[in-house]
Amino acid sequence: MQLLARWFWVLAALLLTFTAQAAKTDIRLALDLETARPGDTVMAGVHMRMAPRWHTYWRNSGDSGGATTIDWELPPGITAGAIQWPVPEKYVTAGLITYVYHDDVVLLVPLTLSAPVAPGPVEISARVSWLECAEQCLKGKGTVKKTLQVGTTDKKSADAALIEEWKKKLPRVKSDVRAQAFWEKPDTESRNLIIEWTLVTGGADPDFYPFEAKGYEVGNATEKLSAPSGKAKLKKVVKKFEGDWPTQVAGLLVEKAGGATEAFQVQMPIMESAAASGGGIGMLPSDAPSSLWAALGLAFLGGLILNIMPCVLPVIALKILGFVQQSQQSPREVRRLGLIYVAGVLFSFLVLALAAIGLQKAGHTATWGSQFQDPRFVVAMATLMTLVALNLFGVFEVTLPGSALGAASDLASKHGASGAFFNGFLATALATSCTAPILAVALGYALATPQPAHIIILMFLMLGVGMAAPYLLLSWYPALLRFLPKPGAWMEKFKMAMGFPMLATAVWLLARTADHFGDRGPLWVGLFLLLLAFAAWVWGEFVQRSSRRRRIAMAVCLLLLAFGYGFCLEKELGWRSRQQVDRGNHKSSPDGIDWQPWSQAAVEKAQAEGRAVLVDFTANWCLTCQLGKEYGLEVPSVRSKIKETNTLALIADFTGEDPVIAAELKRFNQAGVPLLLVFPKDPKRDPILLPPWPKLRPSLVVSALDQAAK
Amino acid sequence: MKTIVTAISTLILGAGLVLGEAVVGKPAPAFTAKDIKGKTHNLSDYKAKIVVLEEYNLDCPFCANHFKTGAMQELQAYAASKGVVWLVVDSASPKSPSYRDPVAAKKEFEAEKMKATAWIDDSSGAIGKAYGLRTTPHMVVIDKNGVVAYNGAIDNKPQADGDPRKARNYVREAIDRLSAGEKVKVASTKPYGCGVKYAD
Repeated sequence: MQLLARWFWVLAALLLTFTAQAAKTDIRLALDLETARPGDTVMAGVHMRMAPRWHTYWRNSGDSGGATTIDWELPPGITAGAIQWPVPEKYVTAGLITYVYHDDVVLLVPLTLSAPVAPGPVEISARVSWLECAEQCLKGKGTVKKTLQVGTTDKKSADAALIEEWKKKLPRVKSDVRAQAFWEKPDTESRNLIIEWTLVTGGADPDFYPFEAKGYEVGNATEKLSAPSGKAKLKKVVKKFEGDWPTQVAGLLVEKAGGATEAFQVQMPIMESAAASGGGIGMLPSDAPSSLWAALGLAFLGGLILNIMPCVLPVIALKILGFVQQSQQSPREVRRLGLIYVAGVLFSFLVLALAAIGLQKAGHTATWGSQFQDPRFVVAMATLMTLVALNLFGVFEVTLPGSALGAASDLASKHGASGAFFNGFLATALATSCTAPILAVALGYALATPQPAHIIILMFLMLGVGMAAPYLLLSWYPALLRFLPKPGAWMEKFKMAMGFPMLATAVWLLARTADHFGDRGPLWVGLFLLLLAFAAWVWGEFVQRSSRRRRIAMAVCLLLLAFGYGFCLEKELGWRSRQQVDRGNHKSSPDGIDWQPWSQAAVEKAQAEGRAVLVDFTANWCLTCQLGKEYGLEVPSVRSKIKETNTLALIADFTGEDPVIAAELKRFNQAGVPLLLVFPKDPKRDPILLPPWPKLRPSLVVSALDQAAK
Repeated sequence: MKTIVTAISTLILGAGLVLGEAVVGKPAPAFTAKDIKGKTHNLSDYKAKIVVLEEYNLDCPFCANHFKTGAMQELQAYAASKGVVWLVVDSASPKSPSYRDPVAAKKEFEAEKMKATAWIDDSSGAIGKAYGLRTTPHMVVIDKNGVVAYNGAIDNKPQADGDPRKARNYVREAIDRLSAGEKVKVASTKPYGCGVKYAD
């Protein structure tokens, strides 16, 4: 009885504390869509409105306080990603530094609807728990709910603008911030971390807001060190609680420019000392430069090949001879005209580059190769490559309308400098029938691997340089004209041979449709491509090269295309909607690595069991990933090391769209796959980052596995 | 050098207030302070004894949870049974709504059935700042030689609800290990809780 009475009083006291201290923060749930389709990602936002002077906390609360937590209650088929935190305010009071939100904040969480979600209303609910403080602190708790309609079309909600506004307040994930972190000097008790970066906005008052970390703490006070203009250099005290010193540091590089705060999310390796060059390192451990050189080399080669296309080669000799005649054999004049011609060629490629950038901007390009996650892109590219191959085989031609062609040759036939310029500018257009295939490939490259604008411009200019190179060389040394291969039937054969690499690409793309549609993908897309090829042949043979019954041929063409599209793609495949595909077992052979599907929970569970974890973030369309797996992972030494260390192998398949994986990649500051991580069995230690193929060697993997299992 | 560091830190913090630090393995900062009953406590009085400092504020949900569930009182009683001196340190400034004058403090001590040795009035913040106490509850355990043996959170569950008895309690572990003449295994952690209400 006495016990009962005691409990009563405890309960009463608890109730009293909760009712007497009502929360000072209002919460509600906002969704950017009112109606969403299966396969969509709905951006949810927990909108917290604090009373004046009260604040809630960021993911790392700082010296005191606590981060807000959100527990979702979602119907089956809907999954929530990690919280995306807007850039907080650094708040100093009575010597304590915290990262907070005053007035209001929207914590963003992507919700993904998988394909099997049934149409109709579903309830989205979340339990939110937070600490709010002013002169005192209160614990806040509440449940927010919202009904989402699952339907056949997307419909924005009244909160779409609010969500959009707060998305802009998220830190930017800018992969090319040049920053580095290193120890000032190794010490035992506490160490100073130096963080250096090249200012992006050029703003003053740079700072670093560390993410929460296990086993160590990056101090919240920041000491600014003198740095050359345009750079920031900060000193942070790091306190270690247990385990080894961290080898990586993550957080926000913060710059303030004109009252606005810009923050860049980074994860940097901590080096033993400053980089020798002092220039800092790029954030992404990517082999971009070498692949860029390779791509530029290919572009140059592609440009050169443009010249031996049947419709271009015969023109070269004529052009150069024309220059020579016009300039009355004055070598200087020949060179001048040659240079102007080259400028014309480059200009036309610049125009093409800008068009490619426009196209790229029109599509959304959040992550590397994210287009391949969209089945529509894969089908469109397979179609394009098939048409390119057929065109090279001579099945049909690409021609400009007669009037445009006429205008072009009028301009180009002008003499002198302007004639030369237009000659160059229009060489590309005039030769469209031959250059289209190669230009299409270049365009595809720009779209498939979202490159920054300057890289695309560089790529296209390189194509132009390649195409113009022979002219340049010949206008300097007209005598070399006699070494020019003689135009002839061999050119036609060469063109046809070029069709086969294009077909190979189409085959690869066709295989990729299986990632989105399962076995039915290659069948129905393949059938569609067959009908398309047939239509192209009818077009070339009976519309373009025949003068009789052209209308009938045209109708047959349209019929074939309509049937191919309507039946194969629309009816049988439903190609425009994303489909759930069971990608099945990832074990490649009986003695191969026993890959399990990745999840954050699986990593944590394995670590709790004292196992290290290897995670391969990969995708079927990512060639580097596949090569890395084949030659860096699925080899006897790595296989036996995984067994020996009892390491859990997980595969995070990014073939289809997956916001959870995207968020995880973002957390490691990667724009996309490949990403290979080894999580040590001690969860307090940071994961080891392995380089992508070709730098990924089995010996590297083996030593990382050994280290992680310690 | 020290002055330069202090000057820089002062500039950084802006508020003109610098927290010290109780470094594990180093002698604990000395102090003399009065408790709410007027009795003077000097750290040197407790040589040869284990001393626990508990930064305290019942208005803080984290602290309150430890007391409302009875977990803190249990731990205090356990410490007392091992001959440990347990000092509740209240560093809330008189300007803070969480400040307790000696009368209110005595009442709260009784009402909460605290089993601590004493409630130290640290409204000047002197002890809290010397030890770098950031949060309520921020805990420090000092060994029999006057050396800091533990500094950090009370347990591994930084939450203001649930039963704290289910968490791994670092202070209990430190007391057990020191009593057995062993080295403390987890000697420092990141403290959690509400910020200490020092005067600005």
